[in-house]
Amino acid sequence: MPNEPANLLQGTLDLLILKSLALGQLHGLGVSRRIEQITRGTFLVKPGSLFPALHRMEDAGWLASSWGASENNRRAKYYKLTAAGRRQLESEVGEWKRIALAISFALQAT
Amino acid sequence: MKRRDVDEEIQAYMDLLIAEKMKAGMTLDDARRAARLEVGGVEHIKEEVNDARKGALVETTLQDLKYGLRLLKRSPGFAALAILTIGLGIGANSAIFSVINGVVRKPLAYPNPHRLMYITSQFSQQHFDKFWVSPPEFLDYKDHTRAFSDLGAYLTTAVNVSDGDNPERVNAVFMTANMFKVLGVRPERGQVFTPEQDVPNTEPVVVIAHELWERTFASDPAIVGKRAQIQGRARTILGVMPRGFDLHDTKAQVWAPLGLDPSNRQNRGSHYLYLVGRLAPGITEGQAKSELQSFLKQWGQWAGPGPGPGGMNHVPNDSTHRMNIEPLRDEVVGNVRRALWVLQGAVALVLLIACANVANLLLARAEARHKEFAVRSAIGASRGRILRQFISEGIVLSTLGAILGLAIAFWGLRAILAANPGSIPRISEITLDPSVLGLTVVVAALTGVIFGLAPLLHMSEKSVTIAIKEGGTRTTSNAGRNRVRRALVTGEIALAVTLVIGAGLLLKSFRNLTSVDPGFTPDNKVTFGIVLPQASYPDSQRRVQFFQELSSKLEAIPGVQRASAMSGLPPFRQVNANDTDFEGYKYVPGSNMPIPNVDYYQYATVGYFETMGIPVKEGRAFDATDAAGSPVVIINEALAKRFYPNQDPLGKRLNPYLTRDTTWFRIIGIAKDVKQGGLEASVGTELYFNYEQLPRIVGFAPGQMNMILRTTRPLDGIAPAIRRAVKEKDPALPIVQMRTMEDVVGASVTRQRFLSMLLGIFAIVALTLAAIGTYGILSYIVTERQREIGIRMALGAGNNQVVGLVMGQGMGIAILGIVLGVLGAYALSRLTASLLYGVSPSDPLTYATVAGVIALVAAAACILPTRRATRVDPLEAIRAD
Repeated sequence: MPNEPANLLQGTLDLLILKSLALGQLHGLGVSRRIEQITRGTFLVKPGSLFPALHRMEDAGWLASSWGASENNRRAKYYKLTAAGRRQLESEVGEWKRIALAISFALQAT
Repeated sequence: MKRRDVDEEIQAYMDLLIAEKMKAGMTLDDARRAARLEVGGVEHIKEEVNDARKGALVETTLQDLKYGLRLLKRSPGFAALAILTIGLGIGANSAIFSVINGVVRKPLAYPNPHRLMYITSQFSQQHFDKFWVSPPEFLDYKDHTRAFSDLGAYLTTAVNVSDGDNPERVNAVFMTANMFKVLGVRPERGQVFTPEQDVPNTEPVVVIAHELWERTFASDPAIVGKRAQIQGRARTILGVMPRGFDLHDTKAQVWAPLGLDPSNRQNRGSHYLYLVGRLAPGITEGQAKSELQSFLKQWGQWAGPGPGPGGMNHVPNDSTHRMNIEPLRDEVVGNVRRALWVLQGAVALVLLIACANVANLLLARAEARHKEFAVRSAIGASRGRILRQFISEGIVLSTLGAILGLAIAFWGLRAILAANPGSIPRISEITLDPSVLGLTVVVAALTGVIFGLAPLLHMSEKSVTIAIKEGGTRTTSNAGRNRVRRALVTGEIALAVTLVIGAGLLLKSFRNLTSVDPGFTPDNKVTFGIVLPQASYPDSQRRVQFFQELSSKLEAIPGVQRASAMSGLPPFRQVNANDTDFEGYKYVPGSNMPIPNVDYYQYATVGYFETMGIPVKEGRAFDATDAAGSPVVIINEALAKRFYPNQDPLGKRLNPYLTRDTTWFRIIGIAKDVKQGGLEASVGTELYFNYEQLPRIVGFAPGQMNMILRTTRPLDGIAPAIRRAVKEKDPALPIVQMRTMEDVVGASVTRQRFLSMLLGIFAIVALTLAAIGTYGILSYIVTERQREIGIRMALGAGNNQVVGLVMGQGMGIAILGIVLGVLGAYALSRLTASLLYGVSPSDPLTYATVAGVIALVAAAACILPTRRATRVDPLEAIRAD
């Protein structure tokens, strides 16, 4: 069932949020849609996990937020990466690549 | 976190989602429903957001505290016991620490108090340590010293202050004018006296205490310059010192010039001054000491060879007549410091025992809630979260305990101060102050954390799965947990044993002290002081006449059998150490011979020995013929032993230097030894002179005397009649401290009584706590082994075997604790040795008694659980769970 949304691996949500914001600022729903888009519909992030993560990451200093108007002129809170967030993204990407490589090696083993 | 902000953000998210769905062709209603479904519960999200944030820590902690309080409400028995235990521990600690803080730690109330030094003389051959300094010694020292920027001298006494009809007796200090500068204090009103006013034969001036100004002079704003009757003379009041000003804890109300003559350096043998100096800038205590050491070597050159009576040289030197320097504070609080720290040690032990007990209680509770925690852990509560809850519960307990503890400390401190008139110095400085409160908070927080962590000792990952599998029952896999609890109880018993042994030793010392024979019979006696001012009673013969007439007046009161007067009130006199020549006794300086010097001189009226109940062992007491007869003296047994070891002293003569020229007094009697310098001190040598013959023989009779009455009536009943009698003789005379002789003797052991009483209370608290601990662990063990006991009984074990099993376990713990405690007490015995009287710090009897008593208490604590064990129904026990 390729269209069934997958469970997020522990720790991957942070990575996905950071990645989704790499190109510019987004509001909450935008982050959600962007993740859906860049994972080709594999991950659907619900508000119940999205908001706690956003706030936690903001507290950690990786994200900055501000209120602004959305595309159809509604009020929305926008998030963008801070310098620390960019560094965090880099290090998490590196880490992820290592894990992914290791897992694929493991699965290829006979 | 701003909750509103999250609300808004979620609402914005919803709006965007709805807009998105409507764009995709949904109706508004459908879009709303779908969005709500997708978003889920708003409140839930808000909780999650909150939880995720660092700031949420505070809120979960608050939650935990609320939860903790709720849990405590559910088990009030446990809560009450725990809070009471902590409260007692913290309360006792705060109270004692307050005392230590005020007495020992707080600096004296002068500027730079650590620069103030106290200087005394020391006569090694007579074993006089911290003896007074004579005026010539003081003047020599003051002339030469560079280590002290200033050096002052003073003596303490008491004077009559009379304001019309209310004569009052207050403590007074006569001191050199520079003492105000040495101490660095100024009057709050008026002036202090100047060096010009501090010479012999000037107009008499005084400075008075704020308290006296308030009490006796009604806070008269124009007091400065007025005259007051002090010690029978009109003296000009120069100024008022600020409230609380004191010197050497004398509680003096009047300060007057000492009036030394700087040119008179003759009377070197008369030591009566205390010296206090302020170190010069940059000079250390050590430098001052080495300066003094060098002075001791050259003092003879300053003073010249002037030989004293009996060939004695009263010039300081570095062997027989040394001088000592110590910080003033050490002198003021020196001898109670150790006692107070011992008390602090004792209450710290009580607190430790209390902590162990509460930890045990919490452990027991954690056992009961084992399954609850396991389940919470399994459904996702992190170990950190559970840990936090434990700690918050501990903190709730210890906070409530601390509040109770402060209340206990407050009332306890009042009780301590009330129970202890006069035996603690600087008592006015004792308060529950911020540093004590700070200590309480620290202790409370620490105990909270420690109690909180205790249950975690067995909350490992593994125990979670086991607990769930077991369905919450207990099995022998709890052995590790048990070890912790047993160790706690063992430790508790050990600490209690240590404390009870310490208390036992002190109680025994106290009992020894109170059973010391003071040399007279204290029962059925009333005493009070009378001081005849030199100004109104200038004539010695008139003074003698006054006391004779007063005695007759008192003897006329129904119930009074005999009334006499004497100069020094045993058993609490200051040593006189007067040079005395014994006819035919040639002292060789530097030899081992006793120095011809007598510790105590006593001036007594004819009936004294009979009234006081002092047996005259040989010869006779004074009688009416002595007033007109030849000079006579009565010696005590100690003096007979020292100076007449192999001869009969009766009829021998001695010269006490009461007159300028030699006057020989004939020994007519030997009186039984009386304790003069405290019940715990050894008896000094003593001479009794007949008061009635003094004016004729030596031309002087002291005006400061103590009356002693033998009476069949209680003090309360007879006091008004006594007051009336004195008032009829002279309405201006205050009665000083009317007391029963039993109270006088009791007052001399106040400190020991105080110490042993407090330590006794702590020991009882410790013992109770240890008993509760023992009971707790044993009943827990019995519950835990119910099944095993049931099986044993089913297999044919009788009651006796079950009793043996359970008692064996309990007593095993107790005996290990007792052994450790005895070892601990022995190790600490060095610290208490100096507080003991007539009992060795390793007194085997006390150790054995305490060990026995505690074993009995432990056995008693085992009885209930044991009885429960024997009533186990085998069938039920095996079938259970």
